[in-house]
Amino acid sequence: MDNVSYQRFPTVRIRDMKDDVLKFELRDTDASIANALRRIMIAEVPTLAIDLVEIETNSSVLNDEFLAHRLGLIPIISDRAMEMRLSRDCDACDGDGRCEYCSIEFHLSVKCTGDQTLDVTSFDLQSSDPTVVPVDCAGRAADLGGFDSSEQRGILIVKLRKGQELKLRAIARKGIGKDHAKWSPAATVTFQYEPDIHINEALMETLSLEEKQEWVESSPTKVFELDPATQQVVVVDPEAYTYDEEVLKKAEAMGKPGLVEIYSKEDSFIFTVESTGAVKASQMFLNAIEILKSKLDAVRLSFDTEEADDQFGELGAHMRGGGI
Amino acid sequence: MFGGDEEYDEEEEEITQEDAWAVISAYFEEKGLVRQQLDSFDEFIQNTMQEIVDESSDIEIRPESQHNPGRNAEIGDVTYKINFGQIYLSKPMMTEADGETATLWPKAARLRNLTYSAPLYVDVTKFVTRKTEDGEEETEQEDLSKVYIGKVPIMLRSRYCTLFENSDKDLTELGECPYDQGGYFIINGSEKVLIAQEKMSTNHVYVFKKRQPNKYCYVAEVRSMAESQNRPPSGMFVRMLSRAGAKGGSSGQYIRATLPYIRTEIPIIVVFRALGFVADKDILEHICYDFSDTAMMELLRPSLEEAFVIQNQQVALDYIGKRGSTVGVTREKRIKYAKEILQKEMLPHVGVGEFCETKKAYFFGYIIHRLLLCAIGGAEDDRDHYGNKRLDLAGPLLGGLFRMLFRKLTKDVRGYLQKCVDNGKEINLAYAVKAKTITSGLKYSLATGNWGQANTAGVRAGVSQVLNRLTYASTLSHLRRLNSPIGREGKLAKPRQLHNSHWGMMCPAETPEGQACGLVKNLALMAYITVGSAANPILEFLEEWSTENFEEISPAVIPNSTKIFVNGLWVGIHRNPELLVRTLRQLRRQVDVNTEVGVVRDIRLKELRLYTDYGRCSRPLFIVEKQRLLIKKQDVRALQMKETSENGWYDLVSKGFIEYVDTEEEETTMISMTIADLVNARNNPDEAYSDTYTHCEIHPSMILGVCGSIIPFPDHNQSPRNTYQSAMGKQAMGIYVTNYQLRMDTLAYVLYYPQKPLVTTRAMEHLHFRQLPAGINAIVAIACYSGYNQEDSVIMNQSSIDRGFFRSIFYRSYRDEEKKQGTLIKEEFERPNRENTTGMRHGSYDKLDDDGLAPPGTRVSGEDVIIGKTTPLPQDDNASQAQRYTKRDQSTCLRHSESGMIDQVLLTTNADGLRFVKIRVRSIRIPQIGDKFSSRHGQKGTVGMTYTQEDMPWTQEGITPDIIVNPHAIPSRMTIGQLIECIMGKVAAHMGKEGDATPFTDVTVDNISKALHKCGYQMRGFEVMYNGHTGRRLTAHIFLGPTYYQRLKHMVDDKIHSRGRGPVQILTRQPAEGRSRDGGLRFGEMERDCMIAHGAAHFLKERLFDQSDAYRVHVCEHCGLIAIANLKKNTYECRGCKNNTDIVQVHIPYACKLLFQELMSMAIAPRMFTKELKMRSEHAKKAAA
Repeated sequence: MDNVSYQRFPTVRIRDMKDDVLKFELRDTDASIANALRRIMIAEVPTLAIDLVEIETNSSVLNDEFLAHRLGLIPIISDRAMEMRLSRDCDACDGDGRCEYCSIEFHLSVKCTGDQTLDVTSFDLQSSDPTVVPVDCAGRAADLGGFDSSEQRGILIVKLRKGQELKLRAIARKGIGKDHAKWSPAATVTFQYEPDIHINEALMETLSLEEKQEWVESSPTKVFELDPATQQVVVVDPEAYTYDEEVLKKAEAMGKPGLVEIYSKEDSFIFTVESTGAVKASQMFLNAIEILKSKLDAVRLSFDTEEADDQFGELGAHMRGGGI
Repeated sequence: MFGGDEEYDEEEEEITQEDAWAVISAYFEEKGLVRQQLDSFDEFIQNTMQEIVDESSDIEIRPESQHNPGRNAEIGDVTYKINFGQIYLSKPMMTEADGETATLWPKAARLRNLTYSAPLYVDVTKFVTRKTEDGEEETEQEDLSKVYIGKVPIMLRSRYCTLFENSDKDLTELGECPYDQGGYFIINGSEKVLIAQEKMSTNHVYVFKKRQPNKYCYVAEVRSMAESQNRPPSGMFVRMLSRAGAKGGSSGQYIRATLPYIRTEIPIIVVFRALGFVADKDILEHICYDFSDTAMMELLRPSLEEAFVIQNQQVALDYIGKRGSTVGVTREKRIKYAKEILQKEMLPHVGVGEFCETKKAYFFGYIIHRLLLCAIGGAEDDRDHYGNKRLDLAGPLLGGLFRMLFRKLTKDVRGYLQKCVDNGKEINLAYAVKAKTITSGLKYSLATGNWGQANTAGVRAGVSQVLNRLTYASTLSHLRRLNSPIGREGKLAKPRQLHNSHWGMMCPAETPEGQACGLVKNLALMAYITVGSAANPILEFLEEWSTENFEEISPAVIPNSTKIFVNGLWVGIHRNPELLVRTLRQLRRQVDVNTEVGVVRDIRLKELRLYTDYGRCSRPLFIVEKQRLLIKKQDVRALQMKETSENGWYDLVSKGFIEYVDTEEEETTMISMTIADLVNARNNPDEAYSDTYTHCEIHPSMILGVCGSIIPFPDHNQSPRNTYQSAMGKQAMGIYVTNYQLRMDTLAYVLYYPQKPLVTTRAMEHLHFRQLPAGINAIVAIACYSGYNQEDSVIMNQSSIDRGFFRSIFYRSYRDEEKKQGTLIKEEFERPNRENTTGMRHGSYDKLDDDGLAPPGTRVSGEDVIIGKTTPLPQDDNASQAQRYTKRDQSTCLRHSESGMIDQVLLTTNADGLRFVKIRVRSIRIPQIGDKFSSRHGQKGTVGMTYTQEDMPWTQEGITPDIIVNPHAIPSRMTIGQLIECIMGKVAAHMGKEGDATPFTDVTVDNISKALHKCGYQMRGFEVMYNGHTGRRLTAHIFLGPTYYQRLKHMVDDKIHSRGRGPVQILTRQPAEGRSRDGGLRFGEMERDCMIAHGAAHFLKERLFDQSDAYRVHVCEHCGLIAIANLKKNTYECRGCKNNTDIVQVHIPYACKLLFQELMSMAIAPRMFTKELKMRSEHAKKAAA
């Protein structure tokens, strides 16, 4: 084996960082790494979500299963999730939910007495741990000056009419998106390959103004622009290009193939991460790297046990193939 | 241009196609969607019922002397006469077992399995006429008012329903769904719809050519039925024989008629002579009116010659009488019989009284005239033309039934009274009237669907059906369904085909596939079925407008004037039909004549046909005069403003902007398809299709029915796809009524998060599809991805499913009651006790509460008992010690393949005051591999794989599809509508609007594409996607966008089935059949063939014998019959042969043993000889040695 190292040193440049949205560039690495990060963020960064509901009274219009499902989908501030235990791995408790390592208890008790219908929202969930509460999207938006905070409403669970009552105990547990989408901290995680656009200026000049305009407008997204002063076609936003090839087809239809050349850079990615609010988008990314690392450790560990696998003879190789 | 300005002003007044929708809204607001049912039923309640009572003749009873020893009959001449008068119908009521009577609400009827019916009363008058000593008559009159004669089931939301004209709020408080349209009955708690029955119209002359070679070449037929006559129509056929060729050599083309009860055909001239028209000239005048028509005269010559021997009425009548059913009676009797037939049985709709001969002769002549016209070269009639069809709706159906039952009631009354009178008892009408006749008669037919009396011939099955409550659209569609009772086996394609005359009346898409294809139809949205009105006003009008009847005219004037028919009956002639028709139409448009009267002027035949009968299909159209709509913008504006309460649909009709045109009248109109066509015709008369438009369509999309109107862009789909979707839309889950929580349907499916579609049609507004939707706007990608969506399967996003995508609730209700056997033995709900109860189920009884019912909130599964019930066992008194078991278990278990939670328990009493329970079990159905879904374009598929979000392909925006369908589903099926729906959905989602996908509008793909391009997407809906597993860009661009998807009721969990060992049938000991019985999987003929072809004989034997009904018997080697074997004592014996040594054991299927025993019971001895076999095998051994 010639000891060539393929090691690269990826770089990350943050473009925009808010609580729930993160945009960054990831350079000098492979699609595999980028996709691994995407997949981990969606499916393997742990969060907390309501997993067990004990209903005491329910005279609402929705049945117990329906309510339990809705409760489960409420995002819960999950900053503690990384250090918590999965309830199935927790030996400190008997699974009744009153365990500081693996579960958080919520209570909900609402009764409608007025003539108006009463909205039961995530605000009505009383947590046993003040740091673990349902996400308050509206409130956060209001802090940022988005909505009017007087209209503050939590996530609607059910509406009650006069005389209807809802009383329950809910246990939130740690989990990952792979098991159920309610544990996924990500609303969306996507990346794109950075495009590399070259306009063939000479060929472009053979086009009339109308043709240029037409060509620019053939792209559904605003990638090119006709400079009003110079009457030149310029690239205003290469990243708006979605690889839809509309401009290429248009150029061909106009009889000018090669009017523009577009390549994608195979080693740089522009990520957009949106969070449900359970974990901050930035934290989500960091957690994802953490998890990726631990996965790699697991792979490395299996290399270390290679000798041990030898006792299985030919089967050993098969067993190693299993990965983590 | 000349007059340009004027043109402009007028143009402004013209309404647009958009305004037509205001008119359509007004229609549905006033009429709803089940008007035909309600109108028809109201007509029955308000008029027909009283008419039936009135038409029944009085009951007259005279005492008949009875042999009555001991008592001397001193019965004088007393006559009793019973007359039924005014009827009264109350609101629906219910009498509890304790005698308390209260108003019945539909909700209570549904829940408690009661019948929603109202008591019917009638005024009865009794006349007693006595002959006094001096021979004078003395009449006593006694009035009994409001005698109860039975209960009539009431159609919901009809005029007599308690819910009639209740506000939405009141309805909700009564536990009803405000969107429910009524139009059905509640019989024993189940909702029943009467399916409209199609039939040929009566009293109408049809002429058909016969396909040669045939005995006849032309046939004219009339099915004559007098109004308000409850007998089967009497048929009259007039046939022209084919040219005889070899036989006789005469000219041959005789014309003969079939008369009722006459065995052979009668030459037409003989019929005329029997009617009293003897001279050839008289006869010919009645047939061909115009003697200069030589062709027709020539055709009549053979017939005249044929009847030459019969030259007077008496001989003609005798000729007919001889061929009747009476044999060996005198000539006078025969003649009287023939006269009777001619008067009462022939063409009864013309008249059954005396002195109808002239009328009958004219009508009979007309039949022949039509036959000859066809023979000369005229066109034959079209049997499948919808103008020749009539629909029997709830009203006429119930009317027929009620007439029959009322007759039976009066007959029973007469029988009872006769007995009383004969025995000299006082007559008591209250005892005589048996209310049960009508109550249970109506209930029986509505409950079973067998129309007509039980166990009698001529019943029609399936007239009443259980209302389909799967989804709201299926309910609506069911209420608008109609059926043609033509044999399903008949492979004649014609009646099944879509006919031109179905336009606007029947939905062209919605019909079942398979046996009933084209025979079961559904009404188009704006179709209206006439309820019928009296013919009298029309007859009076005709009289007034100088119509000449037969007494006044000589036949010679007929060729120059127009014949006038009312409901198929020829009433006279008129010399100025043009004016007559114009006035009639004018009066109809002013509502001076009933709007549903049909006016058909047939210029070619010189006929004017007027119709007032029930069951004709008609539809509203804009009236056009001088290429201009009569309705103007201001009228539509007034409609939209709703300034006064009178501005509604009815107003539009009464102002003469719109009229109802029936299928037959439609043939005499010129209808423009759109308003734009009219404008074009006006502006460019040269290029116009017509310059004589008389009507304009309100909107062409109204030709579709309920299910067809849910399809977006049906005009872009291949037509069978629309038919498939029309069938599938009825299986989609959604919200079937808003009060589903308050109902206990045996089966119900409710979707967790139904959505109104992004892409809608205008008609959906009136179908309440937005309020009660049945589907979800799923993000659908059409792509190949991993191969798990081949052959109509789809890939579904597991993360979407986790978030509630297409989750649904499934309810099943179980029902039981404490039945009574005799007066003492009564079943009881309780928790059965193993100590004293026999026949206990093997399921768990732990879920039962003390009252014997599983309480709400209990998780139940498998064969858990949910209703515990026992019957006391009869006690044997003579048994010395007490019996161990005193009760037998009658509990109800959950279906063994289902599980869920007890949702609701209803404990109440039924009509007999017995305790009655309904338990609803709920289970949540989460989409999984194998569940069935479909778009709205007949594109169904099952889930082949679920992938979580990270594995799904994603776009640059991070969108992952909910569903991935395979591209191969598209090209061969040509459901372009789905593609257009998808891109329009994408635009709609972006603009926050609803997309309009109404058919026959000027929305184009290019317009939608441009809008999509402006939204920043590839104009044809393609997107660049990335592979979720690898992160690489996919080479193909993927067609992606929101498409409305439906979850269909077929789910794997309800179908999954396997079995190793299990229950067998008692009789044959072969494995039971069907999943519900845990049955085996059939190794059928084709599988058997396959194994034979493989030569897998042992496997075959194992399947068909060892794994099925293996059995062994002992056979006597001498006689070959089954011998007695006692395996325990090891003794074998054949008693017949006195043989207990030569007995062999034979393995045969149990079914074979059964067959042998059955044969033996028929004195056939099937013998099994085993010696030969033995010998042969010994031979083989020897040979080998």
